[in-house]
Amino acid sequence: MTQVLFSSFLVAMLSVPVLTLISCRWAKARALPAVLLMGSLAVGIAVATTALYGGQKFVIDVSQVASFSFALSVDRLSAFFLLLICSVSLPVILFSSSYIPRHYSGARRHWLWAVLPLFLMSMVVVVTASTLFAFLFGWELMTLFSAGLILIDGDSEERRHSIFVYLLMMHAGAAAVIGAFLLFLPHAGNFAEMRASATSMPPTLRTAVFLLAFVGFGTKAGIVPLHLWLPRAHPIAPSPVSALMSGVMLKTAIYGFVRFAFDFLGGGPSWWGYLVLLAGCVSGLLGVLYAIAEHDLKRLLAYHSVENIGIIYLGLGAALVFAANHSPVWAALALTAALLHCLNHAIFKSLLFLGAGAISDAAQTVDLEELGGLLKRMPLTGTAFLIACCSIVGLPLFNGFVSEWLTFRSFLAGSEMSNFSAAIILPLAAGVLALIGGLAAACFAKVYGVAFLGRPRSREAASANEVPLPMQAGMGALAAACVAIGVFPGLVLRSLGKLTAELLPGAELPQAATSLSGILPWIALSALVLVASIAALKRTKRLTATWACGLSGLNERMQYTSTAFSKPLRKVFSQVYKADRTVEVVPDGTPYFPVSISYRSVRTTSFERSLYRPGVDAIVAAANRLRQLQTGNIQIYLLYIFAALIALLVFMRFV
Amino acid sequence: MTLAMNVVQVLLLILMAPLVRGVIARLKARIQNRRGASVWRPYSDLLKLFRKEDLVPPSASFVFRLAPIVVFTATLVVAAFVPLLHGSALLNATGDFVLLVYLLALGRFFLMLGAMDGGSSFGGMGASREALVSTLAEAPFLLALMSVAIAAHTSSIAGMVRWTMGQNFFQFSAVHALAFVAMALVSIAETGRMPVDNPTTHLELTMIHEAMVLEYSGPSLALIEWASGIKLTVVMALLIALFAPWGMASSLSPLAIAIASLVLLLKMTALVVALALVESSVAKLRMYLVPDFLGVASALAILAVVFTALMR
Repeated sequence: MTQVLFSSFLVAMLSVPVLTLISCRWAKARALPAVLLMGSLAVGIAVATTALYGGQKFVIDVSQVASFSFALSVDRLSAFFLLLICSVSLPVILFSSSYIPRHYSGARRHWLWAVLPLFLMSMVVVVTASTLFAFLFGWELMTLFSAGLILIDGDSEERRHSIFVYLLMMHAGAAAVIGAFLLFLPHAGNFAEMRASATSMPPTLRTAVFLLAFVGFGTKAGIVPLHLWLPRAHPIAPSPVSALMSGVMLKTAIYGFVRFAFDFLGGGPSWWGYLVLLAGCVSGLLGVLYAIAEHDLKRLLAYHSVENIGIIYLGLGAALVFAANHSPVWAALALTAALLHCLNHAIFKSLLFLGAGAISDAAQTVDLEELGGLLKRMPLTGTAFLIACCSIVGLPLFNGFVSEWLTFRSFLAGSEMSNFSAAIILPLAAGVLALIGGLAAACFAKVYGVAFLGRPRSREAASANEVPLPMQAGMGALAAACVAIGVFPGLVLRSLGKLTAELLPGAELPQAATSLSGILPWIALSALVLVASIAALKRTKRLTATWACGLSGLNERMQYTSTAFSKPLRKVFSQVYKADRTVEVVPDGTPYFPVSISYRSVRTTSFERSLYRPGVDAIVAAANRLRQLQTGNIQIYLLYIFAALIALLVFMRFV
Repeated sequence: MTLAMNVVQVLLLILMAPLVRGVIARLKARIQNRRGASVWRPYSDLLKLFRKEDLVPPSASFVFRLAPIVVFTATLVVAAFVPLLHGSALLNATGDFVLLVYLLALGRFFLMLGAMDGGSSFGGMGASREALVSTLAEAPFLLALMSVAIAAHTSSIAGMVRWTMGQNFFQFSAVHALAFVAMALVSIAETGRMPVDNPTTHLELTMIHEAMVLEYSGPSLALIEWASGIKLTVVMALLIALFAPWGMASSLSPLAIAIASLVLLLKMTALVVALALVESSVAKLRMYLVPDFLGVASALAILAVVFTALMR
């Protein structure tokens, strides 16, 4: 039954591009692609839910009828990520069903509706693949389709460069992933054989597999310093596509890493875990610090994806350390934390990107310095965005808190390890997580305060209107999910417990994990009662002008800007930014009565300068040197051919 | 019976809060050779504010009026986690110390939003500064609590308190000493007292907390003021409960509770006197020195965590 459902889900998804072709000639069927896509995603949710909660496995194997081994199978891990993809995409598509017609017309709209389902489909293939061929097929298509979706907004020089960087890094990452697969030869055909052969592998080979998977999937996930493509590619895509890329596509990399590190290899030595922890700390801290300095909302959100991937890696690293130290129970807790944060981040990050889409729809810009006072003009968007902010900051009663709390709890459990270094490093990692949380709070207080509160800073922001109903509904559904998981974490924790028990033999989610789901509903209830009863108290209200030291004429330019807000933190962490700052005063040498002052501050991250620049320079230099071979002279080329022929003959003679 | 006692504890924390502020203000006045207002003054202030009307800036949205309520509620829930007279609290769960830290963060987040909703530069200025201080205070706060949790082998605050009650004062470990100093420094930053922030300042340019609440008036201001009073009292009670819980009632007999109340009064008085002395004798730090101040707290908290592994 589920198998039939799964097949029909795949067929329905694949039929959307075809139907788009039909509907583009028939004006009445304009909404058809969106409706069909949402319907098939709903079927996908049903499939994933039955597989995740029921635990039955099912397989679709094409290799029996075709000459290549293409097989999809859904086990609990796949089902969890399938659920993540489908349930987050559904509201995003609902949002798009109104956003895309408002912003794109004609061929571009049809292109979007044709490629969007294929992009979703490629992600579904990645998380359900059970053969090497199917996985890599989905993995490459995912990159290409997302690049195709980014291109839709134009192809200026700058955008093409960003897409070039994106494709380049994705292919480098894919090369590492392919390498990790090929090391399993001759058992690299399908996942079951790989799993079986991993136990008899020599340790050095296992380490090589792990490192290749770490780098390959790390590039897709965007861990620092492999994140370079992320803040370039995500902001320039259409907002719903950014939501899918940041919220969903990055998670397929986490899926791949978990599949390799836990399912195939079954954990390894402690230093694997410490490496992942380090990657998590660096990505988390630098991601949020770079985000604070941004005032382009979409680029800021892209940097926050780096931060949240860091938090997920913190959980994964802790799980690897626990597994190496023979405490599968705590490993299960840490892995649960990481997986739950995957889901949570998918929900609130796509909500934030949809919010950014709604802002650009209403105010024609996502530059924070041009916004302000949007909450009064867009109450529903503003409320949903506030919920997303609270979630990403990790405040209690919102979903981000639950996964962060589980991560904290597993770090605390690290102190019980008999291994001395684990007992120090894991609890200290909690400090890093707390610092990341604090910085994220500062960043989103800035985002929300500047964009949605106070007075509008531009005419566009002042005349913004609430977005249409389908867009509101898409955001509302995601916001509801944030609160639902935040108050009743038991909804997902139990099935995640079963999932981790499958991955880590002998592990059962500890009691500690579920204690939170006992207390959170009560706190939520009492807080709700308190808030409601205080709000119900009669408070007379009178509008008066804002205090301006007794002067009149306060205007919107006197408000704190996004740049001003983040200045103290940028000053304290100035070592991270190293901005190139130039101040020009005209005329020169008159600091008190200048005619004009111009100020410019450019940040190139130190990774670009010290890590990528030398590599890029070396490649360009090598290419220049190789160019001397290409003289363009036909006689020289004939000589090359002749030399090659001679060399081959000599070679054949001696072999 | 225990439940009733726990409810009494929460009520005591809430109702005592204005008195604590009143006593501190009075003591400071005395030290500075002024007569000072009555210790009951904060109560009449609150009453007066609750009777007044709310003045709302024209640019403000619903967040402006929601923020004080959220701040008050979050602080109230935090109060329910702290044991006061006996080794148990109204709310307790494993790992609730993380919840405590993040509930305080929830209140602060909304206060920052409320400040920015006023549409003046002072609100943004206060919020920006508060963001700096609270960001850097969160990590040492959590690490200090965590080191105590590790030493006590339990992750609920009430459990930690019960564990410490069973220890001998003279076996007090280096972990506790380090964690105590770290927590004390963080508490100063967290509650906005000298030398991090001056709660009695009248100059907008030097304000942190006061700049954030500059636009508030009437009942909203009363809620914020009361909440910050509760926060101060709760943090003091937390310091007492975690690091010097001896004297708390181990049974619920009237005598034990009477003794516990008396001992609590003594300990609170000692903390209040110490705070008043510190506030009267040190100058406010330049804002960019606050990260150094909190850096010391972080270093101590990190050491406390390292010591838990060294000393087992």
